[in-house]
Amino acid sequence: MDNQPVIEVNNLHHTYPNGVQALHGIDLRISSGEYIAVVGQNGSGKTTLAKHLNGLLKPSLGQIKINGIDISPMRISELSRIVGYVFQNPDDMLFCNSVEEEISFGLKLMGFEQSEKQERVEKSLKRMGLEQLRDQHPFTLSLGDRQRVAVACILAITPRIFVFDEPTTGQDYFGGQSIMETIEMLHADGCTILIITHDMRLVAEQAQRVIVMNGGRIAIDAPPGEAFKQLDLLEKLSLRAPQITRLSQLLGWQGEALLDVPGFCDWVEQSWRTQDEAKRW
Amino acid sequence: MVGASYIPKKSFLHHLDARVKLAILFVILTLALTFSHPVYILVLLAVVILAWASAGLPFDFLKTLVKYFTGIAVLIFAIQVLFYPGETPLLKISAPIATIGFSGTISQEGVLFGAAMVLRLVVIMAAAPLLIMTTPLSELILALVKIRIPYRFAFILTTAMSLLPSLQNRAFLIQQAQLCRGVGDFENRNLLVKLKASASLLVPLILGSFRDSQVLDVAISSRAFGAPTPRTYLLETHLRTIDVALLIFSALALIAGITLRMLNLGIIR
Amino acid sequence: MVSVIDVSQVTYQYPRKEKPVLKDISFTVPAGQFLAIIGPTGAGKSTLCYTFNGSVPRLFGGVFEGKVAVAGLDTYENEIPVMAQHMGLVVQNARSQLFSVTVEGEVAFGCENLGMPREMILQNIRKAMEFVGLEGLEDRQPSALSGGQQQRVAIACVLAMDPEVLVLDEPTSELDPIGSEQVMRVVARLNRELGKTIVLVTHDTEFAAQYADRVLVLSEGSLVCDGTPKEIFKQEELLAKVRVRAPQVCQAAFELRRRGLPITGIPVTLDEAVQLFRGLNGQPTGH
Repeated sequence: MDNQPVIEVNNLHHTYPNGVQALHGIDLRISSGEYIAVVGQNGSGKTTLAKHLNGLLKPSLGQIKINGIDISPMRISELSRIVGYVFQNPDDMLFCNSVEEEISFGLKLMGFEQSEKQERVEKSLKRMGLEQLRDQHPFTLSLGDRQRVAVACILAITPRIFVFDEPTTGQDYFGGQSIMETIEMLHADGCTILIITHDMRLVAEQAQRVIVMNGGRIAIDAPPGEAFKQLDLLEKLSLRAPQITRLSQLLGWQGEALLDVPGFCDWVEQSWRTQDEAKRW
Repeated sequence: MVGASYIPKKSFLHHLDARVKLAILFVILTLALTFSHPVYILVLLAVVILAWASAGLPFDFLKTLVKYFTGIAVLIFAIQVLFYPGETPLLKISAPIATIGFSGTISQEGVLFGAAMVLRLVVIMAAAPLLIMTTPLSELILALVKIRIPYRFAFILTTAMSLLPSLQNRAFLIQQAQLCRGVGDFENRNLLVKLKASASLLVPLILGSFRDSQVLDVAISSRAFGAPTPRTYLLETHLRTIDVALLIFSALALIAGITLRMLNLGIIR
Repeated sequence: MVSVIDVSQVTYQYPRKEKPVLKDISFTVPAGQFLAIIGPTGAGKSTLCYTFNGSVPRLFGGVFEGKVAVAGLDTYENEIPVMAQHMGLVVQNARSQLFSVTVEGEVAFGCENLGMPREMILQNIRKAMEFVGLEGLEDRQPSALSGGQQQRVAIACVLAMDPEVLVLDEPTSELDPIGSEQVMRVVARLNRELGKTIVLVTHDTEFAAQYADRVLVLSEGSLVCDGTPKEIFKQEELLAKVRVRAPQVCQAAFELRRRGLPITGIPVTLDEAVQLFRGLNGQPTGH
């Protein structure tokens, strides 16, 4: 893998027009192919930070480089070919009469030639498993399918970096699974993934790295195992580790946080099997 | 009127009873439509602008208004100038074209009338925010109810206004989401594409607002909206001496204005 | 035992839909109970909530069979505003249910609709705002508050009307952790301190296991299971079949049982799990 980070944020400050300063000097290096969760309370600056990556927001101070290039002179339409930003609600974006039309419309406006456009649409439909639904009206689809269509629209532009804004919020576990599988797939393809989320279980089970924002600054930047170990700090930041992690800590687990049920079970099983006969009831 | 919402301040206008402000607005609008001579309407406009200043309302809003309506204003002015059947010729442009009613000359009356129409538009557009920006919606609803407008109607009217800002927020969000998937750069495109692209904003906006309004419908029904029992109001408003005085003054102004009109003043002859 | 909610053989189909979303549902809720309703998306949980005050079918149309009564009032015979005096509804999206310029105005709305005298309205607002922990925010604009605060305002709005029952449809699914915590604490206290009957639709099975007296499992419009959290969350197969995620402590117990460890009972809360697993290791389990 390259030494040069794919995303470089230097001393980023951002103040909104209403005077609120949302970011106080963010420094960040993200390598290609990383899977990162950005968490924090509402108002902590996580969405503000993410929106700088594709040009939706411009820095008040500081610089952002993507693939080594300063992105400040670039327009959103250019940046969207490098950083795909998927909003939380697919219904804020869908308006065409068929799934296929939905995917191709953006491409048409971006000026792709007909043949290339068609190719991209086909690839996107295939990758997202939407071929059967290509002629369906998006409004007739389930939420999970609409989300996939939204991702397909962005995927057709073939960015290598994806930002997902709260992909599982408001859904039940299995509904969230579907979008998580899609994100996994993109990650397996080699894309760099950033997810803004509240879902601590998602963070624990999927992310390779957790960035916890608080008051416009980065409070924690570590792998989940390390991040969830710091109970007191998390408490202060009003975040809670998944139930299984807390359980393991209550039972005396000291090391890197146990992040999911299988991990917890491995520990319990192992310590149970290595006990003395005498200790067992 | 978009973007006009209550701005809390302590001004004379803010402290007036909402019913008085409704009356004043009514008088201004009526007089604006009664007179057709630009000088008279200019006087009305001056009154409105003075009121703006005294209430401490942002002039940026007026500037934005002017910016958006310049196009329409020019159009209205042009139509009146070209087609008003005036008697005092100013400038001859061409031979008359009977089929569209074009007399071929620009008349003095036409210019005056054109100016009057434009100014009328400005007065109307500037006067309504005077009420909306200085009156909290709860007071406005109460005022409407007290002048015998059914609560349901008053509620719908004022709630619609209060939801405009959230509509704007939603529109902004949709715009952002569309930009991220390549829809939003509309320069150098043919009309068909532009139309389709406007659907990209309108469809999610309308659908989303519709869904939200459904939720609101359930929510307010669940809080007994529409109950048969007579409704009570937390807010209390009373007419003070100054309110009554202004009501009388407005009535007099209205009578004076109509009298002037009946004496054939304030119009273009 | 006084039943404050009575649902009898309810079947309902939305207009222009092919299949009923609720199929022959029957259950009663005694006064003061904390009932959690869980189930996958599309199971009909929200629709069921809307039947309690007659919003379904009055506001939505469609075909409705069966009977629903709250506090003895049949929704067929009583209009929604009448039902609203006995049952308050809080929906998922905080922002969509608030529309007033001030929090005070918002909370007053329901009381005003009921024609309460002004002094009573003022008193009820004060008590409700205190209960949800938002004193001092009366003059703020609801749209400027955080999600958690907005949901608490929504709760205050219905609490001020003093209903016997509060129904909350996934009140925290769109909130951040701190907002969720604030709201859930209020909900628990509504039941424990004020004795309100609570119906909570949630995906948070861990919270349901902790606070609910009883859990109903809904799947594809049918009531598939009805019992205490302990009874419901130990049923591994059922939960998997209806695609409901059990609390993580239950999942751990299921898995360890599969691996051959002597798991005697399935813990449904964190405390129970600590007890169980300490016991497993021969550690003292005293508190």
